[in-house]
Amino acid sequence: MFTIIAVDISGRHRIHAGYFMVCAAVSIEVTPTSIEKVNEINTAAFLFSAAPELTDIVKIIESTAEKIKAKGPIIIERGDLFNTDEPLAKSLFTREMRYQESIGERKAIEVAHHVSLSSRNLLLKENGMDVRVFEE
Amino acid sequence: MKSEYEKTTTTKDQNEKTRGINDYNEDKIDWREGMNPYQEAGGESKRNVILVMRTNPDSDSDDNQRKLQEFKELTRALNDKVVDVIVQERYPDRKYNVGSGKAKEIAIAARDLKANRIIYYDPLSTSQIYNISKLCNEAGASCRVMDRFQLILDIFAERATTHRSKLQVELARLRYELPNAKMLISLSKKEERAGWGGLGDYEDSYEQDIKKRIARINAELKKADLEEEARRIYRHKNGFFVVSLAGYTNAGKSTLFNALSGEQTKSLDMFFTTLIPKTRALRIGKRKLLLTDTVGFIEDLPHFLVDAFRSTLEGIYFSDMILLVIDFSEPVEHIRKKLAICHETLWEKSTSNIITVLNKSETMKLSERKSKLRELSHLIYNPIFISAKTGMGIPDLKEEINANLPLLITQTISLPNNEKGAAALSWFYDNGLVDEILYGNYMTFEFSATEDVMAKTDEMVARVN
Repeated sequence: MFTIIAVDISGRHRIHAGYFMVCAAVSIEVTPTSIEKVNEINTAAFLFSAAPELTDIVKIIESTAEKIKAKGPIIIERGDLFNTDEPLAKSLFTREMRYQESIGERKAIEVAHHVSLSSRNLLLKENGMDVRVFEE
Repeated sequence: MKSEYEKTTTTKDQNEKTRGINDYNEDKIDWREGMNPYQEAGGESKRNVILVMRTNPDSDSDDNQRKLQEFKELTRALNDKVVDVIVQERYPDRKYNVGSGKAKEIAIAARDLKANRIIYYDPLSTSQIYNISKLCNEAGASCRVMDRFQLILDIFAERATTHRSKLQVELARLRYELPNAKMLISLSKKEERAGWGGLGDYEDSYEQDIKKRIARINAELKKADLEEEARRIYRHKNGFFVVSLAGYTNAGKSTLFNALSGEQTKSLDMFFTTLIPKTRALRIGKRKLLLTDTVGFIEDLPHFLVDAFRSTLEGIYFSDMILLVIDFSEPVEHIRKKLAICHETLWEKSTSNIITVLNKSETMKLSERKSKLRELSHLIYNPIFISAKTGMGIPDLKEEINANLPLLITQTISLPNNEKGAAALSWFYDNGLVDEILYGNYMTFEFSATEDVMAKTDEMVARVN
């Protein structure tokens, strides 16, 4: 069993308010094929006026994951980092990270995705933010 | 000219001939010589092939090397001769995928080396195929320009021997062609455009033709899938456990299948040796099970191929257990990538137990095996070291399969000791495990079986009594 920190970001598209993103970091114990236990969850919201760049995304992920007490590598979906090659992506982080590989890690990312998406929906509703997609 | 590919793909209805783009071209399209992207030069003999690979700057060079090696192996599966390998590091070019200078170099190499095919690792758009073909034609080379997807399709087309697999390959090819259909016709008629909307009929009719053929094949495959599903349900209801061999292509699945089942299925050191699933019944301990050997996975498997072979892959997803076979003699990084691809293919749809079978383990020492296992522990579940070739570890694997199969329910059954009872007893033998029988006025025994079979026992006993 391994402890990992699965991270997912929801809201990468532009709405009228700008780029309103919610990042979820979930500390999970996984086996190669399943999730055994969820230890801890941290979420953080970010509002950008312009489209976030790769370095912005790295900062968002690291600042969310650092609040998690349990240690373990950060596991991210490849698409979240603009499909950047893994060696280059690794060099941008100050701690251990890799892309999802095993079935257990994929399931963990799925959990993080549900957390970030539902948190974002809740925040949008609570703040009465305009969710219409921005069109030029 | 008719390609080898079209020669191998025919549909059930012989009167309604399966038409590839070339057949269509004969009627309506006038390709300029040497510019048809589907044209094949070289005929039946061993083809000369030039492989082209573009790599991104800053990408992992070891990984690129692995991809290139795999690319070469793929061409070997069609018995082609690689006459040149051209690699360029740059971001993709819109017109030629590689740089224009490199594209000219490729065209000249194709002419000098008498290449029959130029195969790109990257997926090519129709206009890129057209532009590269045009360049080759201008250089005096006569060859077919294709990408890795088309190469995989060709391999599948050559291996497809059953009606169902031929339909699946045909479906995959049509799905691949569909988004490019309009562009293909438009490019072929570039020289003779009559004016605005002048070619609308050609473009639409070809696209409509493809769509109709996709619908027809889908309907036919649906019928075959229903039969397959019924067979699967029947097997489960009759107490068989289904165990599937899955894994990256050329991992040794067919060799392991032969070692476990005592069969002599074709197993070669080649990609995609098995395309059509094979199932054999065997006994492990007292348990009856069905072992299925199926098609291997590959990196970046095109989605249209996954869709077309969905029903074949479902055979893996719905099995009771998956033996995930890995070639453990390869370097750690290669194994990691291949395992990640296998997990990606299985993760969403499969809930089966997994045993990771580390094949070709006889090639390394125990310490080396353990160190590799440690490095890959996050990807390897229930590991078993084996050698399908020498038989090393096969008894351990059988034990592990037995231990991981779904649990059986046990019940005490009493049947009258008469003719009817004896007939019923044979049903119990066929559908589960019968332990020692005590004979008296009644035959009493312990019967172990799956939930499905157990649901039928009351009815069976009531009928006899």
